[in-house]
Amino acid sequence: MATANMASTDGGANHETGKLEFNEKREFQRTVFSRRDGDWFLQNSLDVPFPSSREAAIALRSLSPDREPRKGGISKELTVSGSTLSLRWSADEARILRVSVNSFLDHLLLVVETMEMFGPPVSP
Amino acid sequence: MTVVIGFEGSANKIGIGIIRDGEVLSNPRRTYITPPGQGFMPSDTARHHRAVILTVLKEALEQAGLKPADIDCVAYTKGPGMGAPLVTVALVARTVAQLWGKPLLGVNHCIGHIEMGRLITKANNPTVLYVSGGNTQVIAYSERRYRIFGETIDIAVGNCLDRFARVIKISNDPSPGYNIEQMAKKGSHYVELPYTVKGMDVSFSGILSYIEEAAHKMLSSGQCTAEDLCFSLQETVFSMLVEITERAMAHCGSQEVLIVGGVGCNLRLQEMMEVMCKERGAKLFATDERFCIDNGAMIAQAGWEMFRSGQVTELEDSWITQRYRTDEVEVTWRD
Repeated sequence: MATANMASTDGGANHETGKLEFNEKREFQRTVFSRRDGDWFLQNSLDVPFPSSREAAIALRSLSPDREPRKGGISKELTVSGSTLSLRWSADEARILRVSVNSFLDHLLLVVETMEMFGPPVSP
Repeated sequence: MTVVIGFEGSANKIGIGIIRDGEVLSNPRRTYITPPGQGFMPSDTARHHRAVILTVLKEALEQAGLKPADIDCVAYTKGPGMGAPLVTVALVARTVAQLWGKPLLGVNHCIGHIEMGRLITKANNPTVLYVSGGNTQVIAYSERRYRIFGETIDIAVGNCLDRFARVIKISNDPSPGYNIEQMAKKGSHYVELPYTVKGMDVSFSGILSYIEEAAHKMLSSGQCTAEDLCFSLQETVFSMLVEITERAMAHCGSQEVLIVGGVGCNLRLQEMMEVMCKERGAKLFATDERFCIDNGAMIAQAGWEMFRSGQVTELEDSWITQRYRTDEVEVTWRD
């Protein structure tokens, strides 16, 4: 089962059972401070493994359409490589970054639960 | 045969309904109920919806006796409404549409109410009064648009009622409006309140401020009872709604009125509208709480009409929007 602590702990998709399990040791999330024109800003990245590239692509297309509610101060980029969904945030303030990451994790969890209950995807 | 599943969750109700060619196969719903004196906040409402949406979806399929493969199109509320709850519902709709390999369709919530009302009552071309917690509009169809003849210039009538209920701590279970309606039946003394019709438009915020200010004083001094206030507020705001509806009918030469939206299941509003309709020789159409109050089937029904007329929404265009006026939608399914 995918759980909300996937952001901070270790895990990986179980490719044999096709279940979204997070049990391998690996780094998922990293936050770094950087400087741009003398101003500090935060970057956060998150990798989410899926059982297949198909499911990763579905998650990407479900999670991409809605823009950040806030106009400035944060940007978010979603990409898929193979069966991994990758996120990159760039934010001016930790507070804004935290709100965006928390909300994204709520959304991701709902998409994953939907896939578990109503998947697997039909063949195209 | 065309089967459409509809996802609705723009406010504190989450509903999923399935429609097959005008027949409601299932329409389960859950309501997020807050304690007396409290409204529902977007993030708490979204959390409620996230917790129950998959159970409601399972129920909708089971009650309809359908498998995902039987569905032709997945419709969801694109807006208007509260952002966080709208996103929650859209996420699940997008995901199942992809899992099941079905087209997606973003529906205007207000259009959902109108099309559901037309389906249930068989009203052909009515003047529509759309009254709920978030919207108050008088609408008539013309030239491929549902045109807004009159509307609130500030808060919705349902919002006025809900917030009055909070002031005097009326229960939100099953809904503040229902409880006000029951209490109003026991009211007898009419307390005069501001009556604010401005041309074809109405205003409720001044009435709310007035009654918020006066309620505790009048109640503690024994000038009137809570029941009297419920009665007086209903009589005042419903009279305003009947007045602008009648004026819209005169403009359009219409002989039909359809009441939709959550406030539309208030029997006193229906009764007052009926009196006006009788005087004009017009016919009133209304539905009960199953279809008046936000539900999934109404999104499925509007989606059914849209899908049959050839519309679909691409995933990249499936973003939700908090503001989405009724007259922005081109009605491709009516002459």
